Order: sequence, then C-alpha cells, then structure tokens
Amino acid sequence: MDELDPVIHASARLRITAVLAALTAGDRMSFPRLQELLGMTAGNLSTHLRKLEDAGYVEVDKTFQGRSPATYLSLSAAGRRAFEDYTAQLRSLLGGEP
Amino acid sequence: MFENPAPEGEPSADGDDLQPERLLALIDDETRGMKRALAVQVPVYYFVWGGAWLLGYLLLWSAWPGSTSPVAVPGWLAIPAFAVLMLGAAITSAAVGIRSNRGIKGVSDFVGTVYGLSWPILGGTVAAIGYALVRAGISDDAAAIYYTSAYALLVAAMYLAGTLVWHSADQLVIALVMAVAAAVTGFFGAPANMLAMALIAGPALLIGGVIALVRLRRM
Repeated sequence: MDELDPVIHASARLRITAVLAALTAGDRMSFPRLQELLGMTAGNLSTHLRKLEDAGYVEVDKTFQGRSPATYLSLSAAGRRAFEDYTAQLRSLLGGEP
Repeated sequence: MFENPAPEGEPSADGDDLQPERLLALIDDETRGMKRALAVQVPVYYFVWGGAWLLGYLLLWSAWPGSTSPVAVPGWLAIPAFAVLMLGAAITSAAVGIRSNRGIKGVSDFVGTVYGLSWPILGGTVAAIGYALVRAGISDDAAAIYYTSAYALLVAAMYLAGTLVWHSADQLVIALVMAVAAAVTGFFGAPANMLAMALIAGPALLIGGVIALVRLRRM
C-alpha cells in the first residue's frame, strides 16, 4: 500500500481540498467564502492554503474587485487528481473498491 | 498510522492521524456541506413562485368580469396585488440566487448570470408582444389568454433550459407541467383560464418546493 499523500493527510487541508473539489470544474471560490464554509480563522486557512499551493494542488488567483484586492482559489488538475487518489486509497484501506 | 482523531475544524498539524473511516466521513461532510450551500436557494424559488402564481392568478380570476368566484375582488386591488406578487417573487429569487453563489467565479457564475438575466429579458419580450396585440385590437379576454399562457410557456422554456444546465429531473417535470398548462388553459376561455393556471401551476411549483426541501435535508 502506498503512503497516503502527506500534503492532503491533515484534517484542515483535507477539508479545504474536499470543498474545492466539490466546485464545478472551471469555478473558483473567494477566500472569505471558503473561510465561511470551513469555519477556519483567516490565518489558519492561509497557512494551509500556502502548503497546498506550494505542492501545486491549489491555484491562487489574486485580483481586484473595484479597488479591493480579492483572492480566488481552485484545485489544480494535480490537486484534483491527488484528492481522487487519496479518497480511492482510503476506500481501499477500508476494503472497498479503490 | 491512524490514531487519535483531531477535533474537526481545529487547526491541524501536519500528519495528524485520523482513522480512514473518519477521514472519509470528513470528506463526505465537506462535500455535502458544499452542495447544500449551493442548493439552499432552490426550495425558495419554488415556494415564492408557487405562492405568487397560485395567489396572483386566483386574484385576477376573482376580479375578472363574469368570474364565478364566490369572492369578488375589485380590479384596483387584484391587478396591483398580482404585480406585487410577481415582482416580489422575482426580487426574492434574484436576491437568494446572488447570495448562494457569492464568492464563486468562473463557469457557474457565467451560466447563472445568463440564466438569471434571461428571465427579465424574455418576460419583457412576452409583455411587449402582448402590448402590441392589445394595440392591434384584441379583446380583453384574448389578452388574458395570451398573457397567462405565454408566461407559462416562458417558465416551461426556462425550466427546460435549467434541466439541461443543472441536470435536474425536478425541473423537467415542472417544465412539462407548465407547458401543458400553457397549452390547455386557453381552451377554458377567460377568466376560467386564470383559475386553471392558478390550480395547475401554483400547486406544481409548491410541490416542487417540498421535494427540493426534502432533497436538501437529505444531502
């Protein structure tokens, strides 16, 4: 059995990845909405997002809405694949179909 | 490898170890929570429009000359009340739609905006055609049949579009009911067509709302 992906294998990053994976492909979510859905502090969310971004799993789009800066987040293709692999590995560990 | 579960929602250190069952439950919770957050407005659409169609067309029917309504509602009250009900439903739909999709950009944002704007654009088109027909001299009864059926046809077409975009069987059923209502109510003549529309479209949308609510709670 391969080791579970250490980037996703932390409850906060797993939750972030699961929410972003539930977005329609081609959609991005703003930082405040993601924070609201996860109930995490801004600092905690930023820390984990940076780790996901460093691993190439999350794409960060910094833009402006009027004059205010806004950050939008989405899973990269690698991130989506890593999440699917991770979920399949868990199911396999539980004896189900991968 | 899988040991003490970390508290949900708490900051987690790298490598915090959870049981696989707990991890899958965590994924499932977040996925369902996300889907629920994006679908929370659906029952609202059905309920406000179901109520508006049921009450609005009952009021118009009750106010129409020659109506068999046991309660005669004056036209000065029924027509503005109908307009307020429809406008209120439109504003409520737009507000909850914008709220549930806040903070999301991309494909869904574009589709939602185009779909949302299609309602007032096509609604205005139906009204303009009706106005032209009235100017051309059609009777009040013919205008009542046109407006009632044309708006039901518009709803049917928009729900068909919604079926294609969101792969919703519920929307397909409502679209078919509205198409049938648009096709048959005119044959009752005015004002009975408005009573028929109230009793077909209103309950269909309200039942759709109950089903959408049950689906939302089961997510």
